Amino acid sequence: MSGPPAADRLPDFSSELYKDAYSRINAIVIEGEQEAHDNYISIGTLIPDQAEELARLARMEIKHMKGFTACAKNLGVAADMPFAKKFFAPLHDNFQKALAEGKVVTCLLTQAILIEAFAISAYHIYIPVADPFARKITEGVVKDEYTHLNYGQQWLKANLETCREELEQANRANLPLVRTMLEQVASDAAVLQMDQEDLMADFLSSYQEALLDVGLTSREIARLAAAALVG
Amino acid sequence: MFGLIGHSTNFDEARAKARSLGFEEFAEGSLDMWCSAPPQLVERLELTSPGGRTVEGAYIDSCFVPEMLSRFKTARRKVLSAMELAQKSGLDITALGGFTSIIFENFNLLKEQQIRSTTLEWQRFTTGNTHTAWVICRQVETNAPRLGIDLRHASVAVVGATGDIGSAVCRWLSQRTGVRELLLVARQQQPLLDLQRELGGGRILGLDEALPQADVVVWVASLPQTLSIEVASLKSPCLMIDGGYPKNLDSKANGAGIHVLKGGIVEFFSDITWQMMEMAEMANPSRQMFACFAEAILLEFEGIHTNFSWGRNNITLDKMDLIGAASLRHGFEALSLLPDSSAALATA
Repeated sequence: MSGPPAADRLPDFSSELYKDAYSRINAIVIEGEQEAHDNYISIGTLIPDQAEELARLARMEIKHMKGFTACAKNLGVAADMPFAKKFFAPLHDNFQKALAEGKVVTCLLTQAILIEAFAISAYHIYIPVADPFARKITEGVVKDEYTHLNYGQQWLKANLETCREELEQANRANLPLVRTMLEQVASDAAVLQMDQEDLMADFLSSYQEALLDVGLTSREIARLAAAALVG
Repeated sequence: MFGLIGHSTNFDEARAKARSLGFEEFAEGSLDMWCSAPPQLVERLELTSPGGRTVEGAYIDSCFVPEMLSRFKTARRKVLSAMELAQKSGLDITALGGFTSIIFENFNLLKEQQIRSTTLEWQRFTTGNTHTAWVICRQVETNAPRLGIDLRHASVAVVGATGDIGSAVCRWLSQRTGVRELLLVARQQQPLLDLQRELGGGRILGLDEALPQADVVVWVASLPQTLSIEVASLKSPCLMIDGGYPKNLDSKANGAGIHVLKGGIVEFFSDITWQMMEMAEMANPSRQMFACFAEAILLEFEGIHTNFSWGRNNITLDKMDLIGAASLRHGFEALSLLPDSSAALATA
């Protein structure tokens, strides 16, 4: 058994290779925060008594978006927004379809659990290898995202008995997308020294933890998680 | 509540176990999938001591398998994630079993106290090495006489003498048993010299020199695949305590007069309803377990919620006395040679 690698080295933030990869990863993050904002506002139309709280969450996402925009500017990078739009399209379309059908559970699972769990784990992995400016911003963001994850958990927990089946369907439709999206950016993430296996593993840990709290058993969650892992 | 963090002995076994526990999808998955899989709290347990005290706990499978040992980041993440799950599950004292404590120590994970949003509280964890060392010593003291070996006239070789368990075994044997001679075997010279000075005795020898002179051999190092033991040169009788991990000494040394006993294994006085030990190749899985796991259970029985065994070379005789007394009080017994041991164990 060999020991750990020598002292961790940070990437060269000024290299063209880094900036090129960062233009896509940063764009995804910016687009993700924008989508999150829009999604929380949309969910508010389905549960009007929660609209105010959801609008509050949505405002936080816009604040995050501005923070990440500043990160790109700081490194002298232009975020590749067309790439990010295309990247989010399948998940965006699924969300819009569920919204049109009034499926609250699907919308919440997609935004408040799946996307938030993914964002949290990705931010955690990014923080130790981020440039000092982005590091500070991301540390602030990650604290907020836990609130959002928690919001989704609480709602689903309170309504679990009526939404179990829809949860499963929503998981099956959307979890594999997360894996595909991750694979699409694996090489860019690697340039930022974010390891694909770490990203997937930490995401699954966060996802499992959120669903355990909602009230699913570990066997049920393993079945759900397998939708992303097997095949 | 106590916790046990374990893992399967190999990947095929892990898949079979997943299937038997109702994790069908994991059973189908590839090794890459298992590398990403989060740890699982798979079983909740309850034990009642002979005195009627009941404790509760849980078994966490880290979803690590030894096939992942070459992947440093994976192995590290598996151990830390399992510890995070133990802490978040409210387990007060959790033992690191099998490779998890070896990875923790070799990869110096003490530096990695922060995992995601969780700060690991070290006092919730124990390597279980104090109890393992005590059990191994007891196995030597109980079983040597059964083979006609009088420890006062015996040479005891400790292979892996400078490790956490090995050094504790040396300390105990030299101060508590009146062993005639300790043969100290380990890879690095300086720690051996330090140990010899601390013990005030013991001979430092290479493995090949030590084995033919030993009446008892305590193995607390993991055995290299390539190791071969010249069986004909060993003494007869020779008691070999296989205290390493994984336990594969019986495949390297067997023959007339050689008695291999699985070291660091204890048996509880009554049946435990759990599935996890069946796959750990215990002869009596409803009662037997690794002594390191039993340490967490004992600490829970005693209400000692602290990292009792932690770091390297911190095991004192006082601590061994304490955990040993608790072990006996709460219905554990160290695994012994069977009465017809020469037939049942030596030829395993």
